[in-house]
Amino acid sequence: MAAPLASPTLIDRLRDPSEKTLGVMLLAPAALLLLMIVVYPIGKLFYNSFFDMRLSGGQGSKFIGLQNYADMMKDTGFWDATLNTVIITAVTVPGALLVGLGLALLANLPFKRQWPVRLALLLPWALPLAFAGLIWAWFFHTEYGFINDVWARMGGEPRMWLLSPVSAFTAICLAIIWKASSFMALVLLAGLQMIPKSLYEAAEVDGASKWQQFTQITLPMLMPSIMVALIFRTITALQTFDIPYTMTKGGPGNATETLAMYIHKTTIDYLDVGYGSTLAVGMFVLSLLLTAVYLRHISKQDSA
Amino acid sequence: MANVQLRQVVKRFGDTEVIHGIDLEIRSGEFVVFVGPSGCGKSTLLRMIAGLETTTSGDIEIGETRVNDAPPRARDIAMVFQDYALYPHKSVFENMAFGLRLRKTSEDEIKRRVGDAAAILRIEHLLDRKPRQLSGGQRQRVAMGRAIVRDPKAFLFDEPLSNLDAQLRNEMRTEIKKLHLRLGKTIIYVTHDQVEAMTLADRIAVLSGGKVIQYDTPDEIYNRPAAKFVAGFTGSPAMNFASAEISSDGTSAVVGNVTVTLPESLRTASAAYRGKTVVLGIRPEDISVDRSAGVDCTLVPARVVVTEPLGAETLVTLSIGGAELVARARPDVSLHAGDSVQAQLASAKLHLFDVQSGVAIR
Repeated sequence: MAAPLASPTLIDRLRDPSEKTLGVMLLAPAALLLLMIVVYPIGKLFYNSFFDMRLSGGQGSKFIGLQNYADMMKDTGFWDATLNTVIITAVTVPGALLVGLGLALLANLPFKRQWPVRLALLLPWALPLAFAGLIWAWFFHTEYGFINDVWARMGGEPRMWLLSPVSAFTAICLAIIWKASSFMALVLLAGLQMIPKSLYEAAEVDGASKWQQFTQITLPMLMPSIMVALIFRTITALQTFDIPYTMTKGGPGNATETLAMYIHKTTIDYLDVGYGSTLAVGMFVLSLLLTAVYLRHISKQDSA
Repeated sequence: MANVQLRQVVKRFGDTEVIHGIDLEIRSGEFVVFVGPSGCGKSTLLRMIAGLETTTSGDIEIGETRVNDAPPRARDIAMVFQDYALYPHKSVFENMAFGLRLRKTSEDEIKRRVGDAAAILRIEHLLDRKPRQLSGGQRQRVAMGRAIVRDPKAFLFDEPLSNLDAQLRNEMRTEIKKLHLRLGKTIIYVTHDQVEAMTLADRIAVLSGGKVIQYDTPDEIYNRPAAKFVAGFTGSPAMNFASAEISSDGTSAVVGNVTVTLPESLRTASAAYRGKTVVLGIRPEDISVDRSAGVDCTLVPARVVVTEPLGAETLVTLSIGGAELVARARPDVSLHAGDSVQAQLASAKLHLFDVQSGVAIR
């Protein structure tokens, strides 16, 4: 008589897993890692934002519900920093796109040697952000700066560029555009090289001028690359920190302080972890909203 | 509609000359095919006519106007590209309308012309689609439609069928021929496929190494090739070639130990080659192993090397005087490898070529 089939134990199932179990087992390490480094910190951030956690006083943390959010709404420092961040985004994203597009079109010209052009494009991108900030801070330095040198040669009085709100803001935007346009150019150059040459020849035969070829072939064909570059660029612009931090430290006053800098100041300088977390949630939501707008636009184009 | 005239046209890329002084006249309404192996310069020549490549020297005229320095858009030509070059972001309608819009044609006129062209090409139901939603054959039609709506002086086709599968290629070949009959436009068509050249062309320009080897009707190209290159390029299977020696009296050619009598028409020319080696050429259909002897035939002993039944016919490879020649035979021919047969060579269809230059001796 045959022995009755014993129901498989857990060990048996692990030794000979079904396809589904195997899939779960294979995905588990990556999922665990993501949980630890993405989901947990974000979750912890949201959690902290409901607490009064001032590390300077030594009184421990206290649950205060939505009080931090109510404070944030009334905090002019938060709104000023948000406005600065939005302005920087609104100026530097289109700015970098235009400059980047120009650079990409230049780099796409049939040069005899391609590598010097590519290298020139890559360099600003490869440079650490803080370096870029320092370079531009020196450019605008009142006594030793290149800008004042040129300015003086043209007959102007030396100016303290980084100490007046408008010119400091402009200088920061210039530095960000310089730094960001090389990334834009690289993404767009890759897009440009995907456009078949025969399309331009067909358009040429069809009777299109160079400008018509640009508006009717290049731009529409480049749209997907432009959208990708814009999304990346916008998200990084919302997180702007290094360049203003190294150029002006947010000054004069708070004139060039961005949201990321305000969060940094609150959390690291003032050790107010609870409120800092609340501000970070605010920035997270802002990024999410803008990304959603882009993604909606892309999915609309795809289905069209 | 216009004629196209090339005079001593030369193209150089840097130090390399790829087109060596070509003279061609394409008559108004004529269908001319440039054919040749890859690298022979046929596409370059077409692109020079289109204005997509500059002309180093010589003159290109379209409809009596010298166009050397005119950009493509000023030449009033339409081109169908090998990869179709449809604008991926535009609908079929907009693809076809693009050239008309650039010329500020009225919206009603655009609708009418695109509609007419779409009807001719049977793509009316596709006008709202994007190119990526079309099959290869449909894209090909749209590319032709884009050319038709423009009503240009001449159509240029650059290997338009080479991206299609064999069956579709045959279908579209017929379509293009019908289109030419219907529109009666000047067409210059580039291909490396001799079947396309033979079936479509009013006249064929056979190119090799940047030169026109022969410019003639398909019939002349096939039956009176001016050079061994032309003879070997046309026909499937191609013409058979064998090394032969002209007899001392100039009346026959000797292949190995087999003597082939030359027709009267070749004797004057062959006289200069007495005792010399030439290339003897004969097409597979001019060697017979399954018919009774004709009037103008030379009977030669042959051995069957291999038979290849193709259904509609059978190709028989024969060894004649040590040379291997392919013969076309009826499908029911009962021959086997090793059989000895009497092969009949149609004397009038023999060709002789100079060994060195490859030029026809006639």
